Amino acid sequence: MREPRRPDLDRYPELQKAWDRRQFIKSAAAGTAFMALGGALVRLAGDDLTREARAEKRSDGKRRLPPGQRALDKLRPMGGEEGDGEVRRWKLRVHGLVKAPFEIDYAGLLKLPQVQKEVDVHCVTGWSLLGGLWKGVSITTLAEKAQMKGEARFAIFEAAHGYTTNAPLKEAMADAAMVTYRLDGKPLALAHGAPVRGLVPDLYFWKSAKWLTGIRFVAADEPGFWETRGYHNHADPWKEERYG
Amino acid sequence: MADVAEAAAAPGKAPGPGLAATVRRRWRAWLRAIHRDIGYLAVGFTVIYALSGIAMNHIDDWDPNFHAIELTRTIAPIGDELSDADAAQRIAAAAGVTGVPDDVYRAGDEVRLSYGNGTKLTAIGDTLTVQSRRDRLFFRVADWLHATRGKQAWKFIADVYAGLLLYLAVSGIFMIKGRLGLRWRGAALVGLGLAAPLGYLVVSGGPGAQKTERVATRPGEVDPPAKPRAGADGITPLPPDEEPAKR
Repeated sequence: MREPRRPDLDRYPELQKAWDRRQFIKSAAAGTAFMALGGALVRLAGDDLTREARAEKRSDGKRRLPPGQRALDKLRPMGGEEGDGEVRRWKLRVHGLVKAPFEIDYAGLLKLPQVQKEVDVHCVTGWSLLGGLWKGVSITTLAEKAQMKGEARFAIFEAAHGYTTNAPLKEAMADAAMVTYRLDGKPLALAHGAPVRGLVPDLYFWKSAKWLTGIRFVAADEPGFWETRGYHNHADPWKEERYG
Repeated sequence: MADVAEAAAAPGKAPGPGLAATVRRRWRAWLRAIHRDIGYLAVGFTVIYALSGIAMNHIDDWDPNFHAIELTRTIAPIGDELSDADAAQRIAAAAGVTGVPDDVYRAGDEVRLSYGNGTKLTAIGDTLTVQSRRDRLFFRVADWLHATRGKQAWKFIADVYAGLLLYLAVSGIFMIKGRLGLRWRGAALVGLGLAAPLGYLVVSGGPGAQKTERVATRPGEVDPPAKPRAGADGITPLPPDEEPAKR
């Protein structure tokens, strides 16, 4: 399509409006493109954290930063229906395929054996928080206390307002998997699942349910809130299992 | 308009020669008039949905709902010998927070103060964390409206708005005839608008590019019976869950 020639506006003043509109649309499109490009460049140029993380490897040989992720310096609040966040009212129910189901309050949780680990977490939206110091109680400890039965294959994390998410025991009971209430020495903020959230580090972060209220061990898999809404059932960040 | 169109199209009930001709002559004007009025109706919804949509698209860059504050202070550790009231007073003074806390909770090495406005003060050893937040103007409510999860009437209203948007989109194609309409400019721009999502699907491989897993359906749950009280260790034994129904 040829560039339209500027009309003789002195001779045809009735074309002025149409010409002005065309110029405005062109300027607006150019401005939008410039800003979008500029934003992308600023993000790429200033992202040392991501560059450094991409050069690192984990002890299991995987790249520290899964594909498609960028490293951030703090957790981002990703929304969700918040629980009330009050420790006094908080309780965790451990049940399902267990011989001794139980419910524990916050003070009781703090009396169980504690773990503190440096853990990387990866959000399905593309950011990762590397090396956060998370403190809590290992899910293995909770499973042992409840005497999990041998036929259990999955853990279903239950949270406020009926939210659930599922994880195979391999990941749910991995070394660093825990129910956590502290990050970098500070209590979790309400936006990040206070007072206690799940932490399943080797799966995308939505598997680490915020505002945790229960862990149920089951034999048959039960996809949860996001898993039944188009997100991947397993959610391995290194395989980019984002969507199902 | 639908009545008129049906009347014009119904073979058994032939309208007067003037009606069919009027429909043929006027349908585009009616389309435009309805488009205009629905456009007016949609302004409020569109502003809310568009701005909150942009806000939430970039949720990994900012918090679209709240201005959140988190500060830490170093304090003298709160000893077990201090009463709740004294501990609360010392913590509040260190944080510079006035007013009476709604709750003072002590467990393990933590002392937590909760205030009615949502502010939380937590002392862990010699570290005091102050967590507070306030709503972002407009976006807090717009984002809340945008997400229909857990809402009943609003979900229905949002469906109606989506229907109106569909009308705006489809009627917009036919509003103008000639070179500015579907003969050239309209067709080119509609094609461009379709090319963007289709192109992205082709380039990204779409949802099928991700490995899918067969998922099981969720069995029903049964409410647990009444539970005994917690022991001194904070643990309450529970009866076993009901077995899920065999499928």
